[in-house]
Amino acid sequence: MKKNSLLALLICLFIFAASGCSTENSNSDSEREKMSEKNKKVTMIFSFKTANLDPHTSFIPIRAGITETLLKLNDDSNIEGWLAEKWGTLDNTTWEFIIRDNVTFQDGDKLDAAGVKASIERSIAVNESLGESLKIQSIEADGQNLTITTTGPYPALPSELLNPYTSIVNTAAELEMGQEEFRDSPVGTGPFIVKKFTSNQEVQVVKNGSYWAGEPKINEATIKFNEDANVRALAFQAKEADVVYNLPAEGIEAIEKDKELKVESVPGLRSHFILFNQQSSKVADVKVREALNLLINRKSIADDIMLGHAIPANGPFNSNLPFGSDDAVKKLDVNKAKLLLGEAGYKENADGKMEKEGKALKLELITYNARPELPLIAQLFQSDCAKAGVEIIIKTVENADAHLVANKDWDMSTYSNNTSPRGDGSYFLNTAFTETGALNVGGINLPEMNEVIKELNKTSDLDTRIQLTKDAATIIDKEVLHSYAVYPNIIVGVNDRIIDWVPTAEEYYILTHTMDVK
Amino acid sequence: MLSLVRKRLLQLVIVVFILSIFTFGLMKLAPGDPVMSILNADEMMVTEANQANLRSDLGFDQPVYVQYGKWMHGLLKLDLGTSYMSGKPVWNEMMERLPITLQLTTGVLLVMFSISLPLGIISARYPRKWPDQISRILALIGASIPSFWLGLMLIYLFALKLQILPSNGMGSFAQMILPTFTLGFSLAAVYSRLIRAGLIECFSKDYIQAGRARGVKEWRILWVHAFRAALLPVITVFGLSMGSLLGGAVVIEILFSWPGLGSMAVDAIFNRDYPVIQGYVLLTGVFVVVVNLLVDLSYYLIDPRIKQGKEGSN
Repeated sequence: MKKNSLLALLICLFIFAASGCSTENSNSDSEREKMSEKNKKVTMIFSFKTANLDPHTSFIPIRAGITETLLKLNDDSNIEGWLAEKWGTLDNTTWEFIIRDNVTFQDGDKLDAAGVKASIERSIAVNESLGESLKIQSIEADGQNLTITTTGPYPALPSELLNPYTSIVNTAAELEMGQEEFRDSPVGTGPFIVKKFTSNQEVQVVKNGSYWAGEPKINEATIKFNEDANVRALAFQAKEADVVYNLPAEGIEAIEKDKELKVESVPGLRSHFILFNQQSSKVADVKVREALNLLINRKSIADDIMLGHAIPANGPFNSNLPFGSDDAVKKLDVNKAKLLLGEAGYKENADGKMEKEGKALKLELITYNARPELPLIAQLFQSDCAKAGVEIIIKTVENADAHLVANKDWDMSTYSNNTSPRGDGSYFLNTAFTETGALNVGGINLPEMNEVIKELNKTSDLDTRIQLTKDAATIIDKEVLHSYAVYPNIIVGVNDRIIDWVPTAEEYYILTHTMDVK
Repeated sequence: MLSLVRKRLLQLVIVVFILSIFTFGLMKLAPGDPVMSILNADEMMVTEANQANLRSDLGFDQPVYVQYGKWMHGLLKLDLGTSYMSGKPVWNEMMERLPITLQLTTGVLLVMFSISLPLGIISARYPRKWPDQISRILALIGASIPSFWLGLMLIYLFALKLQILPSNGMGSFAQMILPTFTLGFSLAAVYSRLIRAGLIECFSKDYIQAGRARGVKEWRILWVHAFRAALLPVITVFGLSMGSLLGGAVVIEILFSWPGLGSMAVDAIFNRDYPVIQGYVLLTGVFVVVVNLLVDLSYYLIDPRIKQGKEGSN
């Protein structure tokens, strides 16, 4: 009897396991078949997810090739026309755009200036901060001619019009579909049309056969969202995805052993840096900040923490950009740092610590885990500071922005920003260095810097803008307003079957009509 | 039994009310607000004036009790508000996520019982023999391994090495196996030991011995007499597990791209999306109270002594 019960239970267990396995096998077989078929389908995995596909609040529609903007960044990070064929201004206030005549929305409606006007108006209504970025007073539409008048001279308008949040959509389609449906299936002008969207999970797109710039090479694409870097790496190695964004640097060695897989490490537009609290008396002296600037081992951060997938920084903007700094990268120099601290009135005490008026130099450094490399940078910095007799107390907080704004007693913080999201430095300079900028949590207010930013804001000539941006970077370096550590690369896994495609620094134009498969 | 239901429903209202005040207060004490996230300050040119205007529009400049009062006023009209981040009504947002969590929970329970029942019963039937030792080792492994690590190892083995299961995503049966097994295995470790302990205790009871002496068949002793009594502690713990499962298994949801309630709550906490956090706490509060009510009601069915005792006291 006992034996019978045991046998029955074992059989039950076996049936359960076997039923699972058999379904698994048949399923995975079919999936493998799908993968092996050269059927012009592409699967991508992004680390950034989205709750909806509203192009005016999410970047995914432009990344998935669903929508497009009036202007775009080219491979050299310069602005060029996209839906706008030509554009220009005489006074930096009235801007003329000529909309391409051969563009239709994905539902067949022709794109004209009135459609662009309606779309821009929608974007300002839907997106809380877009109005401030665009500074538009009025828009007029006449055939394919669009005239935008800004509230004052605003040379940065073209740069702001390549922001994905200004994607051009067919607002007439939204009226027909209703807002809810439109937000899950927007109608743009891009090479791909939404087939199915599952919130925070995936979006499936099919090619737009009547795309204005030429028929897309691939028929279908699925873009999945997964926030775990290790799972993304495993999925890439298992060939479940052809393109995978933001692979973990430590997993690359295993990936590169597979000849069908390659890893692209593209210089990004982000900077990791240390910012100083201008209200802190301990870092108020520029000599102290200069000393701390020399205690950042940029090479070690790039090589050891970022495993070679970063470039040591020499200023706020990636040195590969036209407005990036030409200065040499500062090297770790403990002796010079000590000398500078000496000039600031600090002396080395018997314990090897730098002190002034009997008080050792002890600084609080805020860091956060949202970017895992930042706490590691903080630790390396702490260790190098100790060599110069400076004690660093690391404090890890959950929400750095909130902590830095709410508290005034911190001295430094690790920080990370996309410093040139739209091919221009004015966004970062305005938000991080002006008195009212939202990212100016350190309270920087330097008249010399304000003047340069003011000048930049009213200059339209590209060469002069580049020079002014470089001038601002020189002031930042001279006054050590921030200490830039590295520019992290964007690490993208690409299956060998993908051709005619490379990842780009701005991470806007991912699924393109030229992307093809072998 | 009806009086218990009435009492518990009253408790539900009180629990939910206290929970809502507690969460609202805690959220307001925590530093930060959703303004920077809503304005996309990491990408967009934002000034202090923009932030101040938005704070005022959202009513964050009002006293906390006024903000709470407004939220409660909405709740009385069954309006949980709108998510700051997605722009969707909180109720719709939660109802979008709930089926995903329910699907995961059902799968996990299925796996859990498929493992823990046979393991627990075999261990109890052969205590301190090799089946019991194997079950003990499995239970130890299940209880010690962190679920995110187990999940990654399973993905490595089944998706990468054997290539028989997909690594992540949802929608197909194959995509259910790894996440449900990852979570179900850890839970099964606890339950198999609970079932074993309950059964061993029952097997030593006089009525079981008497049954055996009278020649009652072993399967009848196990399933009809002993198992029923051994279920009581299992169901009590089950009530607690259900609460946390329905609240969402955050790690598993993130690992396997299952956008359920857990990952919704984590995103909402990071972005300080107050209406979503409040809605989530309310929903999970209701879940926990209702599941525990069901657990209490199940005692009446499983153990007739409870029913008799209650009726006696009435």
